[in-house]
Amino acid sequence: MHPPLSLIFFFLTAGTSIGSFIFMYFIEFLLLFGKGQGLPKEVVLKLGLLQLILIGAGAIGASFHLGHKLRAWKAVKRFRTSWLSREAVFSGAYGLTLLIYLVLKYFDVNPFFEHFFGITTFILGVLSGFSTAMIYASNKFVLEWNTSITVIYYLLMYLMLGSTLMAYFSYLYNLPYLGTFIFLSFLFLALGLGFRLAFNIRQFYLKRPTLNEALNLPHNRPIRVVDTGSTTDNFCTEEFYYKKGKELLSTVIPVAYLLTFVVPLFLVLYAWITGTHNHWIFGLTFIFVVVGSALERWSFFVEGNHVQNLFYGLYPEQGYKLRKGFMEKKETRISLYG
Amino acid sequence: MPQYALVIDLNTCVGCHACATNCKEWNTQAAFGPLSDYDPYGAHPSGVWYNRIMTYETGEFPDTQVFHLPKSCLHCQDAPCVPVCPTGASYKREQDGIVLVNYDDCIGCKLCAWSCPYGCREFDEADKVMKKCTLCIDRIYDETLPPEHRKPACVLTCPARARFFGDIEDPNSEVYKMIKERNGFVLFPDMGTNPANHYLPRIETKINLEEFEKHILKPDNPLFLEVMKRHHVSGKTPEEKQQEEVR
Repeated sequence: MHPPLSLIFFFLTAGTSIGSFIFMYFIEFLLLFGKGQGLPKEVVLKLGLLQLILIGAGAIGASFHLGHKLRAWKAVKRFRTSWLSREAVFSGAYGLTLLIYLVLKYFDVNPFFEHFFGITTFILGVLSGFSTAMIYASNKFVLEWNTSITVIYYLLMYLMLGSTLMAYFSYLYNLPYLGTFIFLSFLFLALGLGFRLAFNIRQFYLKRPTLNEALNLPHNRPIRVVDTGSTTDNFCTEEFYYKKGKELLSTVIPVAYLLTFVVPLFLVLYAWITGTHNHWIFGLTFIFVVVGSALERWSFFVEGNHVQNLFYGLYPEQGYKLRKGFMEKKETRISLYG
Repeated sequence: MPQYALVIDLNTCVGCHACATNCKEWNTQAAFGPLSDYDPYGAHPSGVWYNRIMTYETGEFPDTQVFHLPKSCLHCQDAPCVPVCPTGASYKREQDGIVLVNYDDCIGCKLCAWSCPYGCREFDEADKVMKKCTLCIDRIYDETLPPEHRKPACVLTCPARARFFGDIEDPNSEVYKMIKERNGFVLFPDMGTNPANHYLPRIETKINLEEFEKHILKPDNPLFLEVMKRHHVSGKTPEEKQQEEVR
């Protein structure tokens, strides 16, 4: 699948915004039960403003993958059936309730309303992330995405972005939660890595449809694509098969793994074990997670193979195999002319 | 409930692309057009097409067969592109089962194309909306046209008469009978989309020339002369013809 850059941008901004709000509000929420010390008002407002700017920028950025940006409001009409519609509604509502929460916090209006909007924003944030992940996970024609692992690690990556940002903020404002966020960053990075690996390993064992199934022919009949009806690429071959991306994928995936999971895990562990706390270590962890996540998202799109590629002879036929104890990508012969 | 659809006979389709070009010609100037072209006279011409023809080869050399597969929107009875549309621009008509896109509501998010296992929706970069086969809805209901012309442009133009149009749910229709009598099949039956467009399978016709040469074309066959005479429209043997020409 062709990776839309605007959706990668939306993932990073919405992920950082929602992920950090989840942790920020949870600390505030614990105050209701007399646990913890809460966060200074200044930190909540600054973080909240950043979250608001990020979700706003994400919404504007995401509209760039639309043909008609001014009609984007119409996306609320099919809430009942469409995950994209649900995502639009939940993300919009998240931004709105976040704004109300921050205004109530700023003016110290009423703790009841403050927490009411806080809880609502929290739930809407989670639902927004879930709906976005479900857009991919519910697409049964891209077998790589059509799994619950997609949803789980999508949400885990939101929490990774949020926890690493919160660790940095905890260091900046000398908050008593630095240790907690170092642990949470480690936890979600490790879980994210685990589920991303599961996502990749699952692809080796996918039972893929064949051209014979697509054309309703007997399974044992040899068939090959002779001609696809056009001399150049068309919408179907460009949107569902990103040739340059496929060539780069084997290089980008290891880099994405390194930048998103391995290097931040090392940095967080280093900070945890040695007690080294400085701008560099927490700032770099967050930056690595952001840059790595962008590459990871890019890989996620390029890894997806749409079943319509079968008609063009562009669908992987052989996949992967286990050889000498390690996974090796088989030579997947993809050619229009046999 | 009626379900209008195309039935395509793979046995007679010669892959001439006439259906695709006539579809493009009609729909470019009709109600659901234009079908934009990008770089039409350049080195890499491309554009929006409702109908594309693929060519496949089955079997192993030398026993191979080539067939052509015209592929346009299959107007699925459980169309997966409809529920995913966030604006409701993509919809299936109840009165005839045709799946259409309302260009005024389409935001161009391409999610419907992602949800089509057949790759039958194409994004128009000029109009910024998703476009797809409409079964020439502006022809089939046009009362100003003579009744025999109220058919999709691709059906009317097919020189091999490989394309048929009608209500596949109506037991009295030509297409219903064709599907039943000639084992009409659909693409990707396992995807749960229940496509309306059907294809009639190829029937392998084999001429056993060896048998023909061994038994029928032998001069001592009492029917030899008969065969040769019938082979020529004039009813005369080649010798008689030659003699006539000499005279």
